[in-house]
Amino acid sequence: MISIELLTGVLLLCILVTFALGAPVGLGLGGIAMAVGYITWGDGLFNVIPTTLEATHFSFILLAIPLYIYMGQLLTRSGIGDAMFNASQMLIGKVRGSLAISVIIVCSMIGAMVGIIGAGIMTSGSIALRPMLERGYNKRLALGVIMAGGGLGILIPPSIPMIMFASATQNSVGRMFIAALVPALITIVLLITYVVIACKLDHSKAPLDKAPDVPPTLKEKWFTARDGLLSLLLIVAVLGSIIMGVATPTESGAIGVVGAICLAILFKRFKPRMVRNAGMQAALLVSVAMWIIFGATVFSNFHLLMGVQNMVASFTQDLGLSPMMVIIMFQLIMLLLGFIIDEFIIVLMCAPIFTPIAVSLGFDPIWFGILMILNIEIAVQTPPYGFALFYLKGIAPPGITMLDIYKSVTPFVLIKLLVLIICMCFPELVMWLPNKLMG
Amino acid sequence: MSPLFLIICHNAQPTLPILLRYYTMIETAIRRYCLAIHALVAFVGKSISYLMPVLAFVVAFEVFSRYFLNKPTIWAYDLSLFIFGYIAALGGAYAQQQRAHINVDILYNKVSPRMRSLFNIISFCLAIFFVAIICKMSIGKFEEALQFNYRRQSEWAPHMHHYWVMMAVASFMLGLQLSSDLLEEGFHLITGKTLLPDSIRNVEETPHD
Amino acid sequence: ADHNWRFANLYSRGSAFGEVYESLAKNIETMSEGRIKVQVLYSGEGVGTTGILGAVKSGLITMGAPFQSMHAGELPAGIVEIGLPGGTDDAAELTTLFQEKGWAPILKEAYGSQGLVWLDPYIQPAVYVLTKKPINSIEDFQGLKIRAPGAYGKFLRNLGASPVSLAWGEIYTSLSTGVIDGSIGSNMIDHRDGNHVEVAKYMYPLPLAGAQVLPIIVNRSAWSKLSPDLQAIVSAATTVHARDQLTKSKLWESQAVAEMEEKGLQWSPAPSDADKAAWQAAGAGLWDEYAKSDKYSAELIEVLRKEAN
Ligand code: NA
Ligand code: NA
Repeated sequence: MISIELLTGVLLLCILVTFALGAPVGLGLGGIAMAVGYITWGDGLFNVIPTTLEATHFSFILLAIPLYIYMGQLLTRSGIGDAMFNASQMLIGKVRGSLAISVIIVCSMIGAMVGIIGAGIMTSGSIALRPMLERGYNKRLALGVIMAGGGLGILIPPSIPMIMFASATQNSVGRMFIAALVPALITIVLLITYVVIACKLDHSKAPLDKAPDVPPTLKEKWFTARDGLLSLLLIVAVLGSIIMGVATPTESGAIGVVGAICLAILFKRFKPRMVRNAGMQAALLVSVAMWIIFGATVFSNFHLLMGVQNMVASFTQDLGLSPMMVIIMFQLIMLLLGFIIDEFIIVLMCAPIFTPIAVSLGFDPIWFGILMILNIEIAVQTPPYGFALFYLKGIAPPGITMLDIYKSVTPFVLIKLLVLIICMCFPELVMWLPNKLMG
Repeated sequence: MSPLFLIICHNAQPTLPILLRYYTMIETAIRRYCLAIHALVAFVGKSISYLMPVLAFVVAFEVFSRYFLNKPTIWAYDLSLFIFGYIAALGGAYAQQQRAHINVDILYNKVSPRMRSLFNIISFCLAIFFVAIICKMSIGKFEEALQFNYRRQSEWAPHMHHYWVMMAVASFMLGLQLSSDLLEEGFHLITGKTLLPDSIRNVEETPHD
Repeated sequence: ADHNWRFANLYSRGSAFGEVYESLAKNIETMSEGRIKVQVLYSGEGVGTTGILGAVKSGLITMGAPFQSMHAGELPAGIVEIGLPGGTDDAAELTTLFQEKGWAPILKEAYGSQGLVWLDPYIQPAVYVLTKKPINSIEDFQGLKIRAPGAYGKFLRNLGASPVSLAWGEIYTSLSTGVIDGSIGSNMIDHRDGNHVEVAKYMYPLPLAGAQVLPIIVNRSAWSKLSPDLQAIVSAATTVHARDQLTKSKLWESQAVAEMEEKGLQWSPAPSDADKAAWQAAGAGLWDEYAKSDKYSAELIEVLRKEAN
């Protein structure tokens, strides 16, 4: 039998080759798993297909993806999304990069609605990408902001990976949610700071709005403000439906869809064609996202059945390093794993293997869990392979290449890395709030 | 380049009108095959998009029924998942047709168009291998579902057989679309010409209505 | 090794139960003197909890510890096997039911019809319902939205509650915001691991099922490749495992309850006799319904009926 180390090497090599050929990611990963699996295991491996299909298509958690994508498409096509940004421009339009700042704030609010990465990025991308590109923002800045903001979905509560971590390590979900707030706030502040500075240094990144030939009348201003406020109200309503216990975070996407349709009617922008086109674009994006998730899950299921988790477990035993070095080592392993597996599997696999070791070295499990979440956020955004990268490419206009996306995320990934390092060096930033609120 | 092809195109002598006619016939047949598949896949792809509002409505109805009527349904949970699965799987072929599936295009964008066709041929073969297995396994699961009366595990307990039929159809259609794309790329690799009109990949993109 | 087996169980890595499955695997390896090698896979490591039955059936996984509630649509008899609401919690009584009163041969046939070998089942602790408000009398269940799948949902509906279907990952948030008023857990350990006590404090003292009987299953073609002595060894190891589960899970259950009590778990007041009777009646009402689902379920329920008379 082939050793798991060798198999892992072969699989990585196959990924690199298939990606270089420009193969569709999901179909390519599935094809690699089947081909390598057929050689090493035999046709018995093909039976991984039905169970994986059922696991991905019948996952209620993933249902957030179609619902939120559809909401995003309706918002952008009805002009409600634009209304929100127009109003924000009226307020802070004089600041260079103001639109990107508004986008980060809106993304944070979307992050507070969704608990998974895919829904966050694709919703944010649907609503906010076009307004930035239309106003002449640098496309890299625009893409990077969407990626960084949309990825906050798993850091700002509610967060499915955090719930999974708390369960796998027998820790409090409540503590974890609260512990994530300060790191999330630091991330948002740093992102905004970066945007302001980058736009100051390079004016071409974010042009200021040209003053209109005729200054807007009071009435026009009032309409802009009213429309913006109503759109903001929709976001508040969706958030409210979660907080008030009307709907779960997944279901709230459907409330957003209904709300978007109601608003469109209110704005007199409702057309059956708009709903149809939104549905068509949404269905295409859902299918693209789900074929990637399915193919990647087939791939990782094959790898797990062959025992990659045991390889990671045995590697982490007896490292003979100092406690802090062990933590750093864990972060590196998770970043590497981010090349081949998704956010859920990283938690499922690494949380139970790493956390007991971290705790035995005297570290707080909640702190370690937050590091893991921050790390996953980075892992899914780092080239060459990362779900967030694929989601972003899916939502981006046709002319945007993967290279644009790689370049666009770089500064933002560095910011997130900085947050990770800050939280690693100053555990009080993570632990202070939960200790204060929960004792 | 194939020797036969060289004979046909470059040494097209009046003495070879029959070969030339065969060639034109084959080209037309291939083009018709591709266009037929394109039409079928586009029809299915556009049709399933009407499920999007239905999906949102089903989930919203469950929320309404549970919160306002205090009567959670037993069917919304599974029904929404089925619709989700149908959209996700059946849209795959249309996404392939529109070349909307995500790829890493770093090297891909740098090579010549013909080289790109060669790359695509390799990728699409790998993809066909994958979807063929999905199709085969789904048919097997369908037969099993009929034999053992498989259902969902919920109280509503809807049948599973239609899901496996759908998966077999979805993967088969994706396979068909890939076969059409293979022919297209093969034709381009050999002749350097495009087989199908460009307009076939322009989705009506009307963001402002 | 002559035989390389993969053994998938229903729990995630890191759960207390993992230890017992690991030791079953190790026992098979040592007792067979290394002729069988067993790789343990936790939930989600290649196969999710919902996929175990299908994966063992197809041979993707050689051996599995499934949770029958997840497979209600594939093997309905498993729902009766695991224990319908209101069933006994007496381990000795359950053993008699399986070994002497005739459940074991029926189940061997039921699993056998799907290409599975059914080995000695083991017993896991009871199913309880956790609510946000105390249940002072059984009428308090009226209108409560409780996350409870399948048979347990039907049982609660008989008591006037409204069963809700939710993904496991959303129980915590839903309890905290009030989307649901309560949730069952597959046992006390599950309630603790899900941190549900942080957002819902009251445990109802009557269990929905006194004990849960879970099987170990093996893919038939892999089984038939074993020599008779190896088959005997695997069977013997599962018997040891069943004993392990019984003693250890009792201990873990009490630990989980103690930990939750420390975090503020409270028990709803002790139910009256009328409440207990209503509880029993709600369970018995399910027999007819489950007997209808397939012929093996009917046979199992027939045995129960004979017992009751
Ligand atoms: Na979130
Ligand atoms: Na990555």
